[in-house]
Amino acid sequence: MKTKIGYVTAEERDEIQSLFERRNGLSELAKILTPDNDVLYQKLVKDMGETGTKFQNWWDRMAAQYQWQGTENGHWEINFETCEIFLSE
Amino acid sequence: MAKNITFIVTKDCQLACKYCYLVGKNMKERMSWETAKEFIDYVLSHESEFPEESVIWDFIGGEPFLEIALIDRICDYLKLRMFELNHHWFNSYRFSFSTNGINYHTPEVQRFIEKNRDHLSIGITIDGTERKHDMNRVYKQPSTDPNGITLSSDKGSYNDVVRNIPLWLKQFPDAGTKVTISSTDIPYITESVLHLYSLGIHQVNINVVFEDVWQEGDDSRFEEQLMTLADAIIDGGYYEDYACSFFSEQIGKPLDPERDNQNWCGAGRMLSVDAAGKLYPCTRFAQYSLREKRALVIGNIKDGINQNLLRPFLTLDRVTQSPQKCLDCEVASGCAWCQGENYDAARTNTIYERSTAICLMHKARVRANNYYWNKLYRKLELEEHREEYEKNHRKSNPEIC
Amino acid sequence: MMQYLVILLDDTSVSYCHCDNPHKERRLIGLDDLRMSIRYAMMENLMVQMVYPNYALPQEYLDVIDTIDHHDIVPWGTGDRPVQEPDVVVMDGLSGESPVLRNVPYVLRITKAGLFKSVDAVAQLTQQVARLNVVITDVETITDAELPKYREVLDTLAEVVKAEYLTGCAPQLNLLTDRMMLDKPNHCNAGVENITLAPNGRFYLCPAFYYTDADDNVGSVAEGLDIRNPQLLRLDHAPLCRHCDVWHCRRCVWLNRKMTYEVNTPSHEQCVMAHTERETTRRLLANVREKATFMSEVEIKEIDYSDPFDVRKEW
Repeated sequence: MKTKIGYVTAEERDEIQSLFERRNGLSELAKILTPDNDVLYQKLVKDMGETGTKFQNWWDRMAAQYQWQGTENGHWEINFETCEIFLSE
Repeated sequence: MAKNITFIVTKDCQLACKYCYLVGKNMKERMSWETAKEFIDYVLSHESEFPEESVIWDFIGGEPFLEIALIDRICDYLKLRMFELNHHWFNSYRFSFSTNGINYHTPEVQRFIEKNRDHLSIGITIDGTERKHDMNRVYKQPSTDPNGITLSSDKGSYNDVVRNIPLWLKQFPDAGTKVTISSTDIPYITESVLHLYSLGIHQVNINVVFEDVWQEGDDSRFEEQLMTLADAIIDGGYYEDYACSFFSEQIGKPLDPERDNQNWCGAGRMLSVDAAGKLYPCTRFAQYSLREKRALVIGNIKDGINQNLLRPFLTLDRVTQSPQKCLDCEVASGCAWCQGENYDAARTNTIYERSTAICLMHKARVRANNYYWNKLYRKLELEEHREEYEKNHRKSNPEIC
Repeated sequence: MMQYLVILLDDTSVSYCHCDNPHKERRLIGLDDLRMSIRYAMMENLMVQMVYPNYALPQEYLDVIDTIDHHDIVPWGTGDRPVQEPDVVVMDGLSGESPVLRNVPYVLRITKAGLFKSVDAVAQLTQQVARLNVVITDVETITDAELPKYREVLDTLAEVVKAEYLTGCAPQLNLLTDRMMLDKPNHCNAGVENITLAPNGRFYLCPAFYYTDADDNVGSVAEGLDIRNPQLLRLDHAPLCRHCDVWHCRRCVWLNRKMTYEVNTPSHEQCVMAHTERETTRRLLANVREKATFMSEVEIKEIDYSDPFDVRKEW
């Protein structure tokens, strides 16, 4: 079940969308990059960690800023077109 | 805004569609890995020349999936290099394909899809009912031409395409299909759109060809078909979840010469490369797309883009290229053009002469479109659903070429 | 509206503009074509400009030419002078000799390297003739790195022009004085206000179109003028130029097409050269005004771009 719990601004949306795209790009890159390409592999691993942290920080920051409700088994989702935030359970 | 960069990976196709604008398809011009790599290296090393926020790496043919091994290698290299160079496009890219769908189910294509799932946009072209589809989308004859030029056979491709539609829609539920209407297709428009809906395709992007193929009376027949289609969509309630790009609230209005002066077509803002490493402002300016004119090459992978040759494209506006009748037209909005077709049909070697071959067809479309919206909104008013519909309904994509 | 007919009397008639004349063999226009073109010019109210080769024409040609009011454009030469009183003399590079006819406008065709090297000679020539039109024949090859040098050359010429002004003379050097004299565009307008008849009896937008491709004609005297897409030759159909105030620019449709494939779109090189001249003219005007009251009605605004393409989104 999805419940709309709020909105973010277009700028805030752009920030998470960019992180979302980067995270997807990194995970698809991970399918083709092997450890024998050491320099690039290390760069990928580091980037995945940093991007994941930034991604989580965004949700934490927004949740605090907009006082979004949450549940134990639920997670938040964003509609990139409308900037709407949903609680999905 | 996204930059559209097209690899013409092959000029070969299993089909020889009768309306295909690619007049010079052949089996000889296949892109090599070396050419593709050199092109990618050129583009990615000139980041300041491509400031667009996003990129769509587009693969076209012929039939692009005939070269799936090359495409797979290209996409892997793109991902690696964009990441390695910290290129701004790594955060926003797509791989886009227009395919005839025949090879869609093959293990090679499926492996590629699985690997790049989050960055793919794939459109399968299916023209509607079997008889409509098979009228034009036919297999080519085995080639006997020394230059590999292809000829149409009588064998339709519908069955080989339609079997892949469920898999495609499972993987890309929001995908749309592209339908092209030529003179002989007009009687089948309604049945075809409804058939595509019945296959589960919710977005039907449909347009008439820009070429001067129209016969006397085609506009009346077209209007009649669209009126029937309008009734079918509204009476059948399809308007809630399905869209057909023929019907749009934005079309059929006069245009202001100053405010609405932008060019319709994106040629020049796009970039295409062919097997020889030649660069074009759009695929439509490559030689295999042109009937009358010589290819308009704007550079090559060795020397890069000649920026002077882009200037006419980037300064092109609606008013300068349009004849007076278009400027005076009271239903001008939504009347599209293709810069490549304009160039091919022009009396001189110019992109500044707008072809008006679709004029009567556009006007017919506008009349049917007006009918569609008047009828639909009246129905919604009576059912007290109008407000809800306006907020939630599926919007048509802008017309595509 | 068409106003001028340029008649190339011979395949070796002198080029007076950007494009070199590649023809080396003499071939006079047919006498009948010449008669018909003169008749055409009379019927269409066109002023005729005869362009001569560097040899004396047969008397029968001179007799036919004399049947219409016309202007004579002749090559610089010390040998047989094709006409006694030319209206324009064309120099193909600097000869080192002084001009004989001081009251006649001169065209100097010169490469950018030639101009950079011989700016003093060009400055001297400016002082010697009634008017000097400098045509840089390889304008399309100028690079951004060469622009400072071009600015320097123009500054040198501007100093000479300024000194002449301050002594009460009124030198005319197209690169620097035309823009301040003009209150509207003064483009070449080939195909709009003038048309060229080549020795083969066919019309061309201008001599350069004949020199580069004889098949690229726009009709003949017998068949009539047939310019396709004539609107694209007009200023109102030139998306960059119609917003531009570099009014002395030739807006050369031949160079446009050579460089951008479109007659209505100039190249970056053409624009930056013309804007460099405009800027030097603006500063020249200001410098002269520091010393004397001078053309107070003229205003050339300071702008911060040298290629209108770069600011196209502001229009």
